[in-house]
Amino acid sequence: MKSLMQLPPTAISTETTLYNKTGSWRNFRPVYKNRLPPCNNTCPSCEKIQGYIDLLNQSTILSNLRKAWDLLTANNPFPAICGRVCFHPCEESCNRNDYDEPIGIRHIERFIGDAGLNNSFKWKFPGINKAYKIAIIGGGPAGLACAYHLRRLGYQSTIFESDDRLGGLLTQGIPSYRLPQNIVRAEINRIIKSGIKVRLNTRIGKNYDFEKLISKYNAIFIAIGAHRERKLNIAGEDNPSVIPAFRLLYNLSRKRKINIGYRVGIIGGGNAAMDAARSVLRAGKKPIIIYRRTENEMPAITDEIHEAKEEGIEFIFLAAPERIIIRNNKIVALECIRMKLGPADKSGRRKPIPIRNSNFQVKLDTIIPAIGEEVDTSFLPDFLRTGDNKIKVSDNGISTIKRGIFAGGDAVTGPKTIVEALGAGKKSANLIHHYLKKKTLASAETEKQVAFEELNMAYFEHQPRTQPSKLVLSKRLHSFREVSQGYDIKQVSHESNRCFSCGVCNKCDNCFVFCPDMSVVKKNGKYEYNYDYCKGCAICVVECPRNAIALIEEEK
Amino acid sequence: MKFNIPQEEYVYSGHLGCPGCGGALAMRLALKALGKKTMVVLPACCWSIINGAFPYSAVSLPLFHTAFETAGSVSSGIRAALDILGKKDITVLSWAGDGGTFDIGLQALSGAAERNDDFIHICYDNEAYMNTGIQRSSATPWGAWTTTTPTIKEQPKKNMMEIMAAHRIPYAATATVAYPDDFIRKLKEAKQIKGTRFIHVLVCCPPGWKCLSEHSIKLTRMAVDSGIFPLYEIKNGLKYTLNKPHHIPPDDKLVRLYLKSQGRFSNLTEKDIKKIVVTVQQEWHKLVNRERWVYI
Amino acid sequence: MKEVISGNHAVSYGAMLSRAQVISAYPITPQTQIVEMLSEFCRTGQLKAKFIKVESEHSALAACIGASIAGARAFTATSAQGLALMHELIHWAANGRLPLVMADVNRSMAPGWSIWTDQNDSLSQRDTGWLQLYCESNQEVVDSIIQAYRIAETISLPVMVVLDAFVLSHTSEAVDIPSIKLVDKFLPPYRPKYKMDLNHPLAFGALVTPDYNFELKYKIQEAMEQGLITAQKVDKEFKRFFGRSYGIIEPYKCNGAEIILVTSGTITSTTRDVIDELRKQNEKIGLLKIRLFRPFPAEAVVKVLEDCKKVAVIDRNIGYGVGGIFCQEIKASFCNYRKRPQIFGYITGIGGRDVTPDTIKEIIQHSRKNNKADNKINYIGLRK
Repeated sequence: MKSLMQLPPTAISTETTLYNKTGSWRNFRPVYKNRLPPCNNTCPSCEKIQGYIDLLNQSTILSNLRKAWDLLTANNPFPAICGRVCFHPCEESCNRNDYDEPIGIRHIERFIGDAGLNNSFKWKFPGINKAYKIAIIGGGPAGLACAYHLRRLGYQSTIFESDDRLGGLLTQGIPSYRLPQNIVRAEINRIIKSGIKVRLNTRIGKNYDFEKLISKYNAIFIAIGAHRERKLNIAGEDNPSVIPAFRLLYNLSRKRKINIGYRVGIIGGGNAAMDAARSVLRAGKKPIIIYRRTENEMPAITDEIHEAKEEGIEFIFLAAPERIIIRNNKIVALECIRMKLGPADKSGRRKPIPIRNSNFQVKLDTIIPAIGEEVDTSFLPDFLRTGDNKIKVSDNGISTIKRGIFAGGDAVTGPKTIVEALGAGKKSANLIHHYLKKKTLASAETEKQVAFEELNMAYFEHQPRTQPSKLVLSKRLHSFREVSQGYDIKQVSHESNRCFSCGVCNKCDNCFVFCPDMSVVKKNGKYEYNYDYCKGCAICVVECPRNAIALIEEEK
Repeated sequence: MKFNIPQEEYVYSGHLGCPGCGGALAMRLALKALGKKTMVVLPACCWSIINGAFPYSAVSLPLFHTAFETAGSVSSGIRAALDILGKKDITVLSWAGDGGTFDIGLQALSGAAERNDDFIHICYDNEAYMNTGIQRSSATPWGAWTTTTPTIKEQPKKNMMEIMAAHRIPYAATATVAYPDDFIRKLKEAKQIKGTRFIHVLVCCPPGWKCLSEHSIKLTRMAVDSGIFPLYEIKNGLKYTLNKPHHIPPDDKLVRLYLKSQGRFSNLTEKDIKKIVVTVQQEWHKLVNRERWVYI
Repeated sequence: MKEVISGNHAVSYGAMLSRAQVISAYPITPQTQIVEMLSEFCRTGQLKAKFIKVESEHSALAACIGASIAGARAFTATSAQGLALMHELIHWAANGRLPLVMADVNRSMAPGWSIWTDQNDSLSQRDTGWLQLYCESNQEVVDSIIQAYRIAETISLPVMVVLDAFVLSHTSEAVDIPSIKLVDKFLPPYRPKYKMDLNHPLAFGALVTPDYNFELKYKIQEAMEQGLITAQKVDKEFKRFFGRSYGIIEPYKCNGAEIILVTSGTITSTTRDVIDELRKQNEKIGLLKIRLFRPFPAEAVVKVLEDCKKVAVIDRNIGYGVGGIFCQEIKASFCNYRKRPQIFGYITGIGGRDVTPDTIKEIIQHSRKNNKADNKINYIGLRK
């Protein structure tokens, strides 16, 4: 305390209030804690979606492109592919759905992927540890992803592919107006060049003995996909004009001539059905899609359905095939029965129930069943197989009963999506790595993803989703030119700016601006709390637009 | 969207503001806008305590504590002295609460405004005499509880902006800490003008409004967005510019939510709330019409 | 330079010569001519000052306080109601140690409305920490204003220069107006140690807890006591520069006096004439003028009065519930002394009631007649 001599003549303050550590007032303290964005959480290949989008919403978008590409490809080697054909569960889970429209994540991913190809971005991988040899059966998305992620970890693998090229469905089943083949080739070659061995035209169980594989390799990943045609089980199915969608699309991809009539009936509601219908349209035919439920239940990607409708393709809903009408060995019509929707089945969709005596005929020349494929595990020992011909795995979805043998993709799950296969390949690589190094896998903490209600919308204005430009309808109908043109860089920047960055701090400054006690300090580009003074008012917690600040009780 | 706030601080931590004090944040932002060449006049109000007891001060600029009624008059005196001493580029900031602006300080402020004395008066309005324990002021809104209006306040909030506009001062504006860019822009604009400039900043007082400290910003934002406290500017007492809500009529639901979110409005009946909703509409329409005035 | 000017204009000249930099005042009869002439000085450029035409006396003093803390020499003038309205800030100026100078034209407090003189208005402010100088002539007014700034800026306390309404304010006398060049030498520019300064930011007037308040208030008293000495020094120095001095008290023909009258303000000059007349008649009678009322020059007063038999204190004020205020102060000065004259208290001239030589003679007669003074208040000129 000042003495009489030290005191000024009147109350003149010369010292600051910094002596007063108001942090002692707190009952709760704010803590910077990033949370799980729904997009990251939903992506089967664990992409750090929020992360790469955040890199692209700055004015430094061009210089950040490489960083964004590195971040994305750390979890998915095929951004140019996925940006075009992924079924984007990320967009379904995007919290912006509850505000206006979800972020165009796949278009951003496509942009990054295309930029990677255009600029020939390459990865820097560690040297190969020659002590381990890993065999991958199947060069489709799952197998390729596994090989890639193993290579990132320093392992070399050998892919055994039965076909004449790698890619699986990527090069067999998706028409080029949706997925140009040069893109696929480029992305596949990029990973192979990084140090992956390939043996094409080698079918395990036929050209190479499975037991031999086991003896020669330290670990095996089985990713043979689902390529066995499933039957309609109706009369007339054996007619040569019944061409399964898979075969149609395969032949198209190999540029082989296919004999199809004018009126083409496509049976099914998934992507393969849309692909088949739209391909057939481009060949100058008249496709008619016949589906046993309604548009709402169609599993195909919504954009695909929408584009098919735009292109004038006819849809017949709530109809199932009964039998094929054949005359002179030629198909003349398909007899269908009307369906109605009953209660939901185990897939969550309402079960279609036939309406008695509602049969009708659709005039058709060719029928293309697009009802999904089955898995052919005939070359594998029984202990690795399930009752319905898929590969048997443990709870983790990848490990089989035999140590060192892993499986993933459609071969395990039945026909699913490309990105799920990619995810399986990534997970398998990690499991193989732990297996080879005899490490135990740490159990991942289950974290709750950020819900829309936890965000603060005061800092976001309504903005519609950026639409990529599309090829004009007139140009679409007679060619296999790519329909979607994707985003340009301005659109990427604009769309990235719409991202809420759920749960992850993106340095918006709100906490700094609104703190009445100047207790948010910015040091070296990082935000820190000065707990000496923070009073725990929690304004920062509420005003953080993205719920990236937690409030925890002070220990007394 | 990122705020464009000047980074330099002129207020030290360790001040005595309650957790979540809107008034503390208002001073912080105001000084950021006005910068180093500013002197603060501080009549009796919450900030008299927030700034710390002798021998401390939270504001790093020259500051003069003064009697309750004298913000306008002391500021006039300081301005005259600075001018005669040749220090014309120093901004005099008169920083008063609603008491020191609307009530006890009204005379001195009116006198200074009539003379168009060259300083900026900022009223940080927490809508009651909060420093002395939440007693009503003429800035307390109709329907609010205070210790001296233990049911509800039955007089409407005094329209201080209209009073200042009647003096034909060059610049008057409302603002709030929930829209910091707007507040800072207005201060930077005011700084360039000579004469009496008046900013009416709405700030939340969590203990006085009976709300959670963490809702301090959210509530003042709601006050603006609901139309209860529109953001607007008046130049030369006649030219009105409405900033927010921008040409969107006030939101009834938001008015109700605003009232519901604060304990001080818990004595309102449904009839009272309807009356408030209608009044908000009427006042907003008045402003919209004012904006349409054309004058030479 | 000699000119015939009123008391109010003498105030204006004092402020102008002192180079006041900020003037802020509100008109009130009988002060209005002070501010009018100051306005004129500003207009002609004779005085380079900012004149703030405030809207009340409270604001007038507030503006002066602001101006002073910002480093300018400030001045105001008022009377009665205006002074009372300023009261809160009169404390503020002293507690804030601001060297303001204010002229108060003594006017009777309302209700009923009065524009005529008595001393209750200024004496109501006696405990605020302001020094108070009571003037007898227009010359003294000019000189006291200039001295006041010198004193104020030395001890950092404000000074009130008091003059009677109408008797001085509106009465013209010949005044030797000091040359401004000389005043500049006597009164250097105001350079405060503590002020609002961007280069050295301070906060003035914060909350003061019981830990510090006692000491800060003690410092005011300490400054007041210093003021007693400073006022005398300044007055002596003033004589060296301008040839005139007044003292903090002025004994007049007190040698061998048996009765000494104690007066202040214009009653003093009336009393001087009566003393002269009575001395010619060999009456042992004298006069003590109190000029500096605050700080009260108790020691000096006692020294003058201790040897006489009777003291007749003439108050142109009523300290309600007690009596004449000057009388009370003088009685208190003698409280612990062994040698004590009989102190008679007289109240006269309230509300501008004329104080004539006859009034003084009546007082003298009364004190002569009574040998023992009691605590009764003696009202002279009251119509009972």
